[in-house]
Amino acid sequence: MLLHLLVLAPFVAAILMVMTSKEDSKSSSRLAILMGIGFTAMSVALIAGGSVSTEAIEWFQIPGCKGPVYYYLTSHGLASWMVFLSSGLSLVALISARAITCRSYRNFAIGIFSLMGAMNGTFLAADAVLFFFFFEAMVIPAAVLIAGFGGKDRMKAAMTFAIYTLVGSAPMMVALWYILTIADNSTLISIAVAVQGLPEATQNVLLVCFMLAFLVKTPIFPFHGWQAITYAEAPAPLSAILTGAMSKAGVFGFIVWILPIFPLSMNAVSCMMWLGLFTAVYGALMALRATDGKKLLAFSSMGHLGLAVAGVFSLSEAMLPAVLVLLVAHGISAGAQFYLMGIAERMAGTRELDKLGGLSSKNPVFSTLFGFAGVMALAVPGTAGFVGEFSVLLALWDMGPLPALVAGFTLILSAAYMLRFIQKVIFGKQACEYEEGRRTMPLEGVSIAVMLLLLLVFGFHPAYVTDSLNETEVTEDPAAAQVLNSAALNNGEAPMTAEEIHQLDSTLAAAGFKDDERASIIAQMKGDASADAKSEKSVKEASDAK
Amino acid sequence: MELQAIYVQILALVIFAIGLMVAVSRRNVFFVLMGVELALNAVNLSFVGFAKTLPAEASIVGQVVPLFSIAVAAAEACVGLAMVILIFRNRESVDADTYSNMKG
Amino acid sequence: MISLGLIPLFPLLGCIILGAIAIISSGSKKGPAEGFVGTLAVLFPALSFAGVALLSLNMPEGGIRETLCNWIDIPMFRVDIGFLFDGLSRIMLLFVTGIGSLIALYSIGYMHGDRGFARYFAYINLFLFSMIVLVLSDNLLLTFLGWEGVGLCSYLLIGFWNKDIKNCHAANKAFIVNRVGDIGFLLGMLCLVTIGGSAILNYDVLSNFISMVISGNHVELVIPVLSVAGILFFIGCTGKSAQIPLLTWLPDAMAGPTPVSALIHAATMVTSGVYLLARLGSMFALLPVVLDIIVVIGMLTAFWAAVAGLFQNDIKKVLAYSTISQLGYMFMASGVCAFDASIFHVFTHAFFKAALFLGAGAVIHALSGEQDMRKMGGLLKKTPVTACVMIFAFLAIVGFPGFSGFWSKDLILEKIFMSGTMGQAVYVVGLITAVITAVYMGRLIILTFFGSYRGSKESEEHIHEAPAVMLIPMVILAFGAVFAGYLWADSIGIKFFAETLAPVVGAAQAYNTPAVVAHVNPVVFAALGTVAALLGMFIAYKIYANARIPAAKGSSAPEGGKATWTFLFDSIHKYVGIIPVNVLAWICDVVVDKILAAAQWTIGAIATILGDGAASFQVRKVRLQIALSILGLVALLAIVILTGGTL
Repeated sequence: MLLHLLVLAPFVAAILMVMTSKEDSKSSSRLAILMGIGFTAMSVALIAGGSVSTEAIEWFQIPGCKGPVYYYLTSHGLASWMVFLSSGLSLVALISARAITCRSYRNFAIGIFSLMGAMNGTFLAADAVLFFFFFEAMVIPAAVLIAGFGGKDRMKAAMTFAIYTLVGSAPMMVALWYILTIADNSTLISIAVAVQGLPEATQNVLLVCFMLAFLVKTPIFPFHGWQAITYAEAPAPLSAILTGAMSKAGVFGFIVWILPIFPLSMNAVSCMMWLGLFTAVYGALMALRATDGKKLLAFSSMGHLGLAVAGVFSLSEAMLPAVLVLLVAHGISAGAQFYLMGIAERMAGTRELDKLGGLSSKNPVFSTLFGFAGVMALAVPGTAGFVGEFSVLLALWDMGPLPALVAGFTLILSAAYMLRFIQKVIFGKQACEYEEGRRTMPLEGVSIAVMLLLLLVFGFHPAYVTDSLNETEVTEDPAAAQVLNSAALNNGEAPMTAEEIHQLDSTLAAAGFKDDERASIIAQMKGDASADAKSEKSVKEASDAK
Repeated sequence: MELQAIYVQILALVIFAIGLMVAVSRRNVFFVLMGVELALNAVNLSFVGFAKTLPAEASIVGQVVPLFSIAVAAAEACVGLAMVILIFRNRESVDADTYSNMKG
Repeated sequence: MISLGLIPLFPLLGCIILGAIAIISSGSKKGPAEGFVGTLAVLFPALSFAGVALLSLNMPEGGIRETLCNWIDIPMFRVDIGFLFDGLSRIMLLFVTGIGSLIALYSIGYMHGDRGFARYFAYINLFLFSMIVLVLSDNLLLTFLGWEGVGLCSYLLIGFWNKDIKNCHAANKAFIVNRVGDIGFLLGMLCLVTIGGSAILNYDVLSNFISMVISGNHVELVIPVLSVAGILFFIGCTGKSAQIPLLTWLPDAMAGPTPVSALIHAATMVTSGVYLLARLGSMFALLPVVLDIIVVIGMLTAFWAAVAGLFQNDIKKVLAYSTISQLGYMFMASGVCAFDASIFHVFTHAFFKAALFLGAGAVIHALSGEQDMRKMGGLLKKTPVTACVMIFAFLAIVGFPGFSGFWSKDLILEKIFMSGTMGQAVYVVGLITAVITAVYMGRLIILTFFGSYRGSKESEEHIHEAPAVMLIPMVILAFGAVFAGYLWADSIGIKFFAETLAPVVGAAQAYNTPAVVAHVNPVVFAALGTVAALLGMFIAYKIYANARIPAAKGSSAPEGGKATWTFLFDSIHKYVGIIPVNVLAWICDVVVDKILAAAQWTIGAIATILGDGAASFQVRKVRLQIALSILGLVALLAIVILTGGTL
C-alpha cells in the first residue's frame, strides 16, 4: 500500500494542484507543502518498514513478447533511501519555490509532484518495462519545469536536457524489447535468466545499450554535455532535485539493473571504474575553472557521482553500503548547496562568482548555512560525506592502490574548488547590491538546516543508513534476493551452493512461479554460474598470454 | 428488373472519383470539404451495394455500418466547417493553397 | 571517576551554545554581552581541563579505555568511537586544555570589541573539541576526525576576518595543503587495513600486532607494506606539522588573530604530527628507512626555517618560522625513535612559544595592529610585563641553561648524537640551527624591546600595556616556559616525564635502541648547547644592537635573495602542484570539453539537416499533397499487382 501511495499519489497530488486556484498561490502552496510533508513521512516509513513488495498486477502485453508487463513495485534498502531523497528534496523544493515563483506556484507544484511520482516509480519498479517507463517519464516534467521557470537560456537548456537523455535511453528501449522477446516476462529475474542464455557478443551489445542510458543520466564522461547547462539554467529548487535525486537514477540503474542482469567481465568492470574515476577528476577540474556558481555545483556533482560509479564497479564487499552512504550524503549536501545558491542568486540577481561576495556580513544566517553546507560537501570527518567517501575509497583500495590514489586526488581538488566557491560567495567585500526583500525565508532556512543536521547525524551514526541494507539480506523478497545472488555471481564466486539454490527456490515459489518454471530457472542459474567461471578463466588466460 | 450490384459499384466509383477530383482541384476550401464529403458518401454507397449481394440476415451488418459512418461524417463535417471558418477568420481567405503554416 | 566522553563534550557544548548565541545575535545592531560570552568561552575549556586533571591524578598504570558506541559498521570495515587515556594522551590533554583555557582567557581581552566575538569563541571551542578527540581517541579513524577537525577550525580561524580577501586566501591555502597531507593519512589507514583488517586501526591492536610480528620474527614480511603506510602517515604529519615539503601554509596562517596563532599554529595543532608519530611509535620503530627520511626532513626543515626566520620583518612571521624550525627538532627526535624526547619538546615548546605569541599579540595590541618590527623598538619601558614575559620565553627557546627549552632541546640533540654515525652529522646541523635560533630570536627581542621607538610620533602616545585579562595568561605561560623543563631534567636526575611516557612509547624505543656508539658525558652536550645559545645571542647583539635599522617602506615581506629563500617551497608548490593542475583544468575546460561540445553539435547538426531535408519534400500546396499521396497510393498498388502480389 505504501509503495502504491508513493508512486501513484504524487500524480494524484499533481492533478489536485491543477484544480487549485491559480490566483490564491498562498493556500495552494500550503496545500502542496502539506502533501510534500506527507510523502516525506511515507518515505521515512518505507525506510523504517524494511523491504516490501506489492502484488504483481498484469498491466499490458507488448506485441511480440512472451509474457505480460507487470505493475510490480518492490522496495529494498537502496531504493527506499532514493525515494527518501526524491520526496525529501521535493518537499524542500516546494518550500523554497515559494520565493521565486509567486505567480505560477501552482504550475511549479504540478511539475514537482509529477517528477516526484516518476522518480519514486523509477526507484521502486521491479519490472523492467515499468522501470523504463518511469525512467523516461522523469524527463518530461523536468524539461517542462526548466522551460517554464528557468533562467535566460531556458529553452535551449530544456531541449538539450530532454533530447540528450531521451536519445541516451533509446538504445536501452530497443535492447529491452529484444530481451523481452526471449524472456518469460519482464521481471528482473526472468530478464537475467534470458540474458545469461544469450551468446557473449549479443550480451555485450545489450550491455552497452543499457549502460548508455545510465551513463547519460548520471552523467559520466563523455556523456555529460547536457548537465552543466541544465543545472545552471533550471530553477535552483529543480536543480537540487535533479542532482540530488534524479541523477541518482543512473547509479541506481548500474547497481540494480546492470549488475544483476549482465555477467560482467573483469575488463568491463575495470573500464567502468576508471571511467568513473576519470569523471571524478574531470568534474573536479571543471569545477575549478567554473565561473558560474551553479555550473560549479553541477561539475562538483558530476565528480561525486563519478566517484560513486567507480565505487560501484570496484565490486568490493563494502561497495553497496559505501555507495549508498555516498549517494545519500551527496544527495542531501548537493541539494542543500543548490538551494542556497538559489537564494544567493535571488538576493544578488546573478550567479557569476565574481559578482557575488561579502554575504557573510550582509546576511549572517545565510552564510552560516552556506559555509556549513560547503563543509559538508568537503567530506570533513563527522559528516555523512566523509563516511561515504572513505568507504568508497576503501572499496577502491580493493582494486589496487592507484584507483584509491586517484580518488584521493579528487578529494584534494574538491577542497580546492569548494573553498574557492565559499570564499567567492560569502567572503570578501560586498561586490553588488543585495535586494533586501529577498532574504532567506525562515521555513526555507529551517528546512536546509534540518538537511545539514541530518548529514551530521548520518556522519556520526551511519548505521541509520547502512542498516537498511542488512535487512535486505534476510528478506524473502525475490528481487532483493536476486540482487544479492546475482551480485555474488558477478563477483566471480563459486557456483551456488545447495543452500543458496534452496533459498532461491523458496523465494521463487513465494513469488508465484510454477514448479517447472522454477526448475528451469535454477538449472539455468547453475549452468550460467559455471559458464561465468569459464569465461573469466578464459579472460585470465588471454591476459596471461599477453 | 433486379439492380445489378456492379452498377451500384460503378456509380460509387464515379461519385468517389468526382469527390476526389473536387477535393484535389478546387482551391476553395469549402469545395474541398464538399469533395471529401462526396467521396465519403460514395464509400457508403459502395458499402450498401455490397451488402445487398449477401443473404438477408448477413446483409443487415453491411447496412448498419453506413449509418455509423454517416453519423461520424456529420460530426466530421461539423468540426471541419468550424475549422474552416476559424481559418477563414484568421486568414480572410478560403484559398487552400495559402494555408502552408504546418509545413515543416 | 568521570567518563572520558565528558572531556571532549564540554568544548562541544560550548561551541554549540556560543554558535547559537552568535547566530541569534547576528541580526541585532549590538553584539552579545562580552562578559557573558567570555565567561562561557573560558568555562567550558576550563571544565575539561579540570576533568583531565582529575583523571590524571588517579590514572591507573595501563591507562583508561572506554568505548562509547559503534561508528561505522559495513562489510570489511568496523570502527568504534572509543577513547584511550594513557601517559601520552594525559600529557597532551593537560597542556591542550590548560593552554587552551589560558588562551581563551587572553582572547577576551584581545578580541574586545570585535563584531564576531561570539563566533570566535565558538570556533575556539570547536577547535578544542577536535584537538581533544585527536589526542584522546583510541583508533586512527577517530584521530582522523580530530585531525581534519582541527584543520577545519584552523581554516575558519585564519580566515576569521573574512572581509579581507587575503585572509581567505591564506585560510584556503592552509586547508588545501593540509588536505594533501590528510589524504596521505587516509591512504595510510587503508594500507594498514590491508594488513590487519579494520581492527588494526585501534592503537592497542596495532601495538599487539607489532609485538606479535616481532616475537614471531615476521618483521621482514610486513616491512614493505608497513613502510608504505609509514611514509603515507608521515606525509600526513608533514602537512599538519608544517614540515618540508608541505610547510608553506603556516607562515600565511599568521593572518588569523594572534591568540589563534598561539593556540593552533604554535602550541597544539601543529604538534599533532609529532603526537601521531609517537602514537604509532611501535610501528615506526620497525621501519629504519622511514625513520631516516623523518630525521633528514626534520633536520632540513629546522635549518631552512631558522634561516628564513632571520629574514622576516613581521614579528609573527619570525615566530611562525621559529615554530617550523622547532617542529623540525621534534621530528628529528622522532626520527631517532626518541619519542619521549620529542613529546617533551612539544610540551616545553607549547609553553614558551605560546608565551612568545601572546607577547607578540600584546605588542601588536599595544601598537594598534602594527606587526612590522622595523617600526617597533624601545618597548621595554612602555610595556614592561610583556617584555619580561617575552624575554623569559626567549631564553627558553634559545636554550639558556635552566630554562625549559634548554632541557628539551639538549635531550633531543643528545639522543640524536647517540643514534649512530648519521646522527652525529645531524647533530652538527642541529647545533648550528640552535645558534641561528638564538640569532633570529635575539634580533626579534632587540628590534622590539630595545633601542628607540621607530614608529610615528602620534602612534607612540597610544602605546599601552595590555589589560590584566591578557597579562595573567602570559605570566602563567612564562612560568611554564621557565620551569616546565624541570619535569625531565636529565642532567640533574629528574625523569618524571620519561616515566609517564614509558608505558606508551617504551617498547618502541627499546626495539630501536642503537648499539652504544660512544659513551659521552651528558654534561658535554649541555655545555655545547649552552655555548651555541650564548654564541647566537652574542652574534645577535653584535649585529642588531647598534645597527641602524632601515626605515620600513612598503610591505614587511622580505625581498631579493631573502625572498627566494623564504618562498622556496611556495615556488616549488607552484610549479609542482598548482600550475600542472591549472593546465590540466585548462585542457579539460578549453580543449576536451570543446571537442565534446563540437561532437554533440555535429550529431545534432546532422539530425537537423536530415530533418530539414525530409521536410523539404513536403510541397507547399495542400491540394498538391493530396494529389501526390493519391498518386503514391496508385503507384504502390501498381507495384504490388505487377510483382504478382494479391490485394
